[in-house]
Parts: sequence; C-alpha cells; structure tokens
Amino acid sequence: MNFLLVLAPILTLAVGGIVLMMLDAFQKEDGQLAMPTALLHFVAAAAALALWQRGIPAEGAALVAPWLTIDRTGLFLAAVISVGGALASLLAGGYLAEHKMDRGEYYPLLAFASAGAIMLAQSGDTLTLFLGLETMSLGVYALTGFRRSSARSIEAALKYFLLGSFAAAMLLFGVALLYAITGHTDYVGIAQSLRHSAELPNDLVARAAEEQVRLVGTRISIFAMVLILVGLAFKIGAVPFHMWTPDAYEGAPTSTTAYMSVVVKAAAFGAFMRIMLVVFGDAGSASGTAGWPAILAWIAVLTMTVGNLMALTQTSVKRMLAYSSIVHAGYILLGLLTTPREGVGTMAQASVLFYLAGYTVTNVGVFAALALAGRRGAEAVSFDDLAGYARRHPAAGFALAFFLLSLTGIPPTVGFFAKFYVVRATLDAGYTTLAIIAMLNSAVSAYYYLGVLVKMYMRDPAPGAAQASPNKSFYIVFTILVSAALVLHMGITPSRWLNLAIEAVTPAAAAAPAADAPAAP
Amino acid sequence: MIIHLGHYLALSCVLFSIGAAGFLFRRNVLISLMSIELMMNAVNLTFIAANRWQPLVTSADGTATAAIPHHGHLFTFFVIAVAAAEAAVGLAIVLAFYRLRKTVRTDAADMLRG
Repeated sequence: MNFLLVLAPILTLAVGGIVLMMLDAFQKEDGQLAMPTALLHFVAAAAALALWQRGIPAEGAALVAPWLTIDRTGLFLAAVISVGGALASLLAGGYLAEHKMDRGEYYPLLAFASAGAIMLAQSGDTLTLFLGLETMSLGVYALTGFRRSSARSIEAALKYFLLGSFAAAMLLFGVALLYAITGHTDYVGIAQSLRHSAELPNDLVARAAEEQVRLVGTRISIFAMVLILVGLAFKIGAVPFHMWTPDAYEGAPTSTTAYMSVVVKAAAFGAFMRIMLVVFGDAGSASGTAGWPAILAWIAVLTMTVGNLMALTQTSVKRMLAYSSIVHAGYILLGLLTTPREGVGTMAQASVLFYLAGYTVTNVGVFAALALAGRRGAEAVSFDDLAGYARRHPAAGFALAFFLLSLTGIPPTVGFFAKFYVVRATLDAGYTTLAIIAMLNSAVSAYYYLGVLVKMYMRDPAPGAAQASPNKSFYIVFTILVSAALVLHMGITPSRWLNLAIEAVTPAAAAAPAADAPAAP
Repeated sequence: MIIHLGHYLALSCVLFSIGAAGFLFRRNVLISLMSIELMMNAVNLTFIAANRWQPLVTSADGTATAAIPHHGHLFTFFVIAVAAAEAAVGLAIVLAFYRLRKTVRTDAADMLRG
C-alpha cells in the first residue's frame, strides 16, 4: 500500500481524469466539470502536502525508485503544479462558458496533463522523464487547439505540436545515446557510469584501449547533454528555442495559456534542475566556465534580453504576456545555473522553487484578469481594447493592474521577492554581470507592464471603438481572488515560503531545522 | 568486417540527421510528421543496439549476464507507443488545420506573428 501512498498526487489526477471522462459521458449538459476538476487538483495538492507533513514512507519511495524520486523537491513542485492546475481549471470554467466552447473533454485532458506534469517533476529515470513529458504535452497540444473552429487556435496547436515533438525527439536521442554509453536509464546510474569509478587497467594495451573508449564516451555524453538541454530549453521556451511560445500562447484559449505558462513551465524546470544536478552534476560538466552553467548563462542572457525587446513592440496584451513568460524563464534560468556552485547551491535551488511558486499564482491571476475583461465575441487582447478599462470598471481594472505589478516586481507582491532571491543567489555565486543584466532587463520590462496600466487608467478609448467590459463569471472572479490572496501572502511573508523551499531542497538525511535558514529581509 | 555498436550508432545518427533535416527544410506538415517518426526510429535503433551490446558482468557463480537486462527493449516499446499517440494527436490537429485552411503547408500557418 505504501507505493499507492507515495504516488497519491499522480494517481489522484490520473484516476480522477478517468472519472471525469465518465462524468462527461453520462451527464446531459456540458460544462459542469470545472469545479470537480479544480477539487481534484486541490486533493492532489493536499496529498502532496500530507506526504510532506507526515514524512515520506521510505518503503514506498524505495518501491517506485529509481523510476520516480519521491522527495520534498518533487512534492513541492507537485503542490505548485496542482494549485496551478486547479486555478487554471477554475478559469476554464468561466472562460469556456463565456465563449461557448464549454465541452467536457477539456477537463479530463487537463487532469491527465497535470498527472504527466507531476510525473515529469518527480522523474528519476529518463523513461519517466519521457513519459511524463509526453503525457503532459499531448494533453496541452489538444487544449491549445481546443477552439476547433478558430484558425488561430488550430495554428497555435499545430506550431506547438510540431516544435514540441521535434524537441521531444531531440531529448529522446540524447537519452538513447546516454544509454548506449552507460547502459543505464536511471539518473543515478547514468551519473555513476559517467564518472568512471572503475580503475584503469594496469596492462598498457588494455589501458590505451580503455582510454580510447572513455574519450569517445565523453564526447558522446557531451553531445547527449546538449541534445537534452535543447529539448528541455524548448519546453521552457528559452531563446533561441522560443519560436513557438508567442504563437501558442496567443492562439490558445486564455485558460490554456494560463495552464501552459505555469504548469508546463514548473514541471519542465523541475525536471531540468533534477537532470542537470544529478546526471551532469560532476565537477567537469557543471563547471561555471566550460560546463552546462556556461551554456545556460548565454541562453539566460539571450532569453531575458530578446524576450524583453520583443515584448516592447507588441500591440496585443496576450502576446506581450507570452514574451513576458519567456523573460521570466530567463530569470529562473539564472537561478538554475547557479545551483551547482558550492555554498550557494541550496539557496539557488530554493530560489528557483520559490520563483516557480510565485510565478504560478501571479501568471494564472494575470490571465484570469485578462479573461475577465473579455466578453463573448469581444475578447480584450490588445492594448487599445483596454483603454479606459480601469476607470470604467475600477475593481476589475485593479485586479489586472495588481498582477501586472507583481510581474513587474513591485513589493509587497511576490514578484519582487522571486526576483530578489534569484538575483541574490546569482550575486552570491559571483555572476555579477549576469545579475546586472537581469536587473537592467527587469527595469526595461516595467515599460510594457506599466504600459497596460497607463492605457487602463489614463487613456480614453478611440471614438467608436469597442469598450472592454468585464463578464460576470463567478469562476473567473474566484480564480482572481484565490490567486491574489496567494500573491499577497507570498509577498508579505516571503521568508516563510522561502524556508519551505529551502526545506524542499535539503536532503532528508541532512534536514536542518528551519531556524537555520537565512532570514529574508 | 565485424559490425559492432559503433556502426549502429553511426547509422542512427544518420537517420536522426535525415529526420531533423526533413523537419527543418520541408514545408509539408505530413512530411514533418514523418520526419519526426524517423527521428524516433533512430532512437529506437540506438536503444535496441545498445541493449545488445551491454557490458556483461560476471556474478559469483561465474555466469555472465548483462548489467541491466532489458531496459533498452523496454524503452523502445514505450517510444513506439508514445509515437503512435503523438501521431494520433498530430494528425487530428493537421486535419483540423486542413479543414479550415484547405492546405497542409506550414507556410500557410501565418496568422500569428510578430
């Protein structure tokens, strides 16, 4: 029974998804599934929290090892993914009904995708990495093209699908090459084989042959690492592998966009962190000058800068938010690339988890607030649509403004502390240039976030133009309230949440009391 | 000539490159899908060949067995199954695209840009 216990978050969502399909098949009217789906996600989150609280049963964890690594990092991410999924399904309940596409199959797909996302975040073997990635992605491709009559939605799904499967194939080839040279598919086994613990033979001929084999092996492993890195960079939407991101985000139904931007990102970053630290965590591969952190540093700089420059020129708020999600991926990459550093590794990992949690609640909130501004047949997408919106509808306008301020990084919202912790970890690790670039980018990004506020509060709509007015969806308002509460709570008591994240990344054996954790400012 | 693991790896690298090139340079969605399948098959070939050439370990009673018996084979079955699922979702998307645009060329997918 213990293995059922440790798999509870995944099983809840997978079995719940099947139940949702049955419910959908037997109910007379469409569109009653948002609440059950949200509840299902909350139950999964509660299961993850209960496992955390009561301690992970070692026997159960050993049964599913090495396929799944049931540790606190995984549970933290499972909770973040479940909460993100719950909020996205609540948003879907309002958004899909408003736009008359509330068909039942949306919700089981969402639940299955979340199960895949948790599997990805908890993967301890390249097989579960691949299965989790595909389970998640296949669901999200279908959710992206959910508005079948809209050419834009289908085009978004097509682009996302093609580049997503291309990326998955690259990742898979990297995995296959690692298997060819190590004979292992599990992270720990691959890592041990790559480090060549065995002594070189004494016999000269055998020694020369062995050295030759190792040289070829090292070259193949570097090639494999690059393939895996590219595959995962596609999933998190890092420049130069970001081409699909703005198109998929813009064309997809807004509830799917919210889901994509938080759940897919959290799961992919979780797997990214685990595979890089466990498989390629040796001193050579993880060296700051020649290993993957050096590659990631370039990718992070490109991601932040290019994402920002593109976001500056957008006329559509939804597309601007897509580029903004690319920029945020760049900030998270900064935290990720400092994780192998001695001394700051724990803080860096914790800052990544904190960022993912904070970004999840903020971004679902911002998309919910944007969805609230659109009515059937008149979705508010461009800056011009929102002109004067906050003056006509102060509460709805303030909701959107609030989440945009969190994305900008203005205290007391969580966005400020998320950036603060990541930049502090970068500085502590000695990457001063990277930290400066991140702060400059953060300043630039204020331009387009506050641009929306300027439009909403200070501009009048052009004469005769459509005026955005909020729909009265209970579901969307509820999503906004929950997200806003979490954003504020994480922003006002960040040290509590950071301590949780630090506990999450501290190995169970060496779990330090929370009092040891550095206090937040 | 003795065929060993290196030859299989070279062949699968060639297959993978052909697939990747096909994906990047062809503009027909169906060809893109086939290219992805080819890349997946290069992966399968690698797994099968690597599984055959696993280093043997000698246990206490002197019998030599593969270090990790069948993980490569196992992985291949999963890859085949997932590739089929992926093709199902992909073809559904292509079908929906064709219904709306009456073409399967990727350069027709140009409504979202900027």
